[in-house]
Amino acid sequence: MIGVRGAAVLVSHGLTALVLLTRPCLAAAQPYAGSNGPHRGSVEVGGGVIRIGTYDAGSAQALLTTAGGAAPLTLFVVDGDVPAVIGAAVQAGIYLGRRVSIETSVHLTRPTLQSRQSSDFESASEVVAETTTSSYLVGASLLYHFGEGRLVPFVSGGAGYLRQLSEGNAEVIAGTEVHVGGGVKYWMGSGARRLALRLDAQASARDKLVAFEQKRRVLSSLGAGVTLRF
Amino acid sequence: MTRAIVGAVTVLIAALAYAPSVDAYLKLGTRIGTRIANLRFNTFPVRYFVTNRDVPGVTAPQLQQSVDRAFASWSAIPNTGVSAQFAGFTGTSPLNGDNANVIGFTTRADLDRVLGSTSFTVDTVSGEILEADIFLNSTFQWSAAAGGEPGRHDVESIALHEIGHLLGLGHSMLGETELAGGGRRVLGAEAVMFPIAFTAGTINRSPRADDIAGLSDIYGNDQFRKATGSISGRVTKNGAGVAGAHVVAFNPATGKLVATFTLSEDGAFVIAGLEPGLHLLRVEPLDDADAASFLETSFAVDTNFKVAFHNRILTVPRGATARDVNVAVVAK
Repeated sequence: MIGVRGAAVLVSHGLTALVLLTRPCLAAAQPYAGSNGPHRGSVEVGGGVIRIGTYDAGSAQALLTTAGGAAPLTLFVVDGDVPAVIGAAVQAGIYLGRRVSIETSVHLTRPTLQSRQSSDFESASEVVAETTTSSYLVGASLLYHFGEGRLVPFVSGGAGYLRQLSEGNAEVIAGTEVHVGGGVKYWMGSGARRLALRLDAQASARDKLVAFEQKRRVLSSLGAGVTLRF
Repeated sequence: MTRAIVGAVTVLIAALAYAPSVDAYLKLGTRIGTRIANLRFNTFPVRYFVTNRDVPGVTAPQLQQSVDRAFASWSAIPNTGVSAQFAGFTGTSPLNGDNANVIGFTTRADLDRVLGSTSFTVDTVSGEILEADIFLNSTFQWSAAAGGEPGRHDVESIALHEIGHLLGLGHSMLGETELAGGGRRVLGAEAVMFPIAFTAGTINRSPRADDIAGLSDIYGNDQFRKATGSISGRVTKNGAGVAGAHVVAFNPATGKLVATFTLSEDGAFVIAGLEPGLHLLRVEPLDDADAASFLETSFAVDTNFKVAFHNRILTVPRGATARDVNVAVVAK
């Protein structure tokens, strides 16, 4: 409950910041009749798939104390990692002008934490143990688009709230995320309602993740999908 | 080099291992009819006397100070309410059945591998400890020096172990040994309740995660139980339960190790008092000391299986149990 409230506050602050930042552009971004391009108030909704890159989940050693302050005895060694995972992403945005929009997004993924146990003191066979989590990222972004043609590059940046549930929902890990990146939209057709293919690439910094060691990690994020503007 | 066994618990009642539904660790118990009752003190502070006898290297006041610090180490474990109070010096030796808790040196040359031992008088209805005595074997060389002394056993370290028994803890098997000199030499241990002492001169004065979980399992209050979680399951070989397997839970985030045994023929185990979060399980046969130093059981301890890890990473929930964990092992 605290986490959800925290998320709402975070998103709210994010939107406020975005509006303030874009205010100088508003005068130059008046809507104009007959244009196929976006205008203030244009809405985009879309969805697709997202690929979150692998990350190192940390290492650990199971140690036993030895006599006389000697180096500890290593019972076994643990190395953790989370392979890349593909999930679903949806976005909804609104244009503040012809080139600037804000959007909220939700990413759903099921990352698997893997742990390799090795170097066992009693020669136990190496084992890769696993657990799968459910990850939900709710974010807010500011997008700046370059041009209004068919192929429209854009850059983006923003922040989000990340919530990860372990198997059986035994534990919840909640944290924050900030991201920067860019992409392209390839618009098809013409008229007020247009469909585009959208590709995204982002660097996403996350302060808490399912891992053996908590630290800020930067993950790659690649997205592909379609978006509808009206 | 002497390989001494710490606290074989040559007790007036037997050290029994058992597995009630939500318990873990080896605790001392007494059989009452068909049931087994925990050995535990029901009131604190535990009042104790110290035998007024000096031995080479340790005076009676030094012993008292060491015992006081050892009690303080156990009392520092939160949410247990354990405490102790020095009641004075006494001319009597431990093991005399005088309804007083007495700790002191006794010469027991016949116990040439026993550094110390704890004995009990208990209420055979409730399991409450009425009297507990600890003797330290003056046949060995002892030291009360702050930094320890080569060739002498640190009296505070051994007292810490025996006081663990006094409070109701059994032995832990969180350690590795090798055969040497007709006995076993400790290569490493991560519990003060490991039954075999480090070589003389080694200081081992701090309860580890396993000891803390064990004491908390006996005396922990609601706050402890709400803040920690458990893992329960079975160890199986070809589908059948493995009795006497040592199950170790490892928290990679903290490095803490907490362990228990499967204490029935169906291979069931419970590890309680774990910090919430990710844990890995490792299972090994009971082969680093005599099984009798850990368990008095009605079943045969199975040591014919290879050390193995569980193939799932477990998430221990706060105030609840990760259940139905099945760790499969194979014969050697």
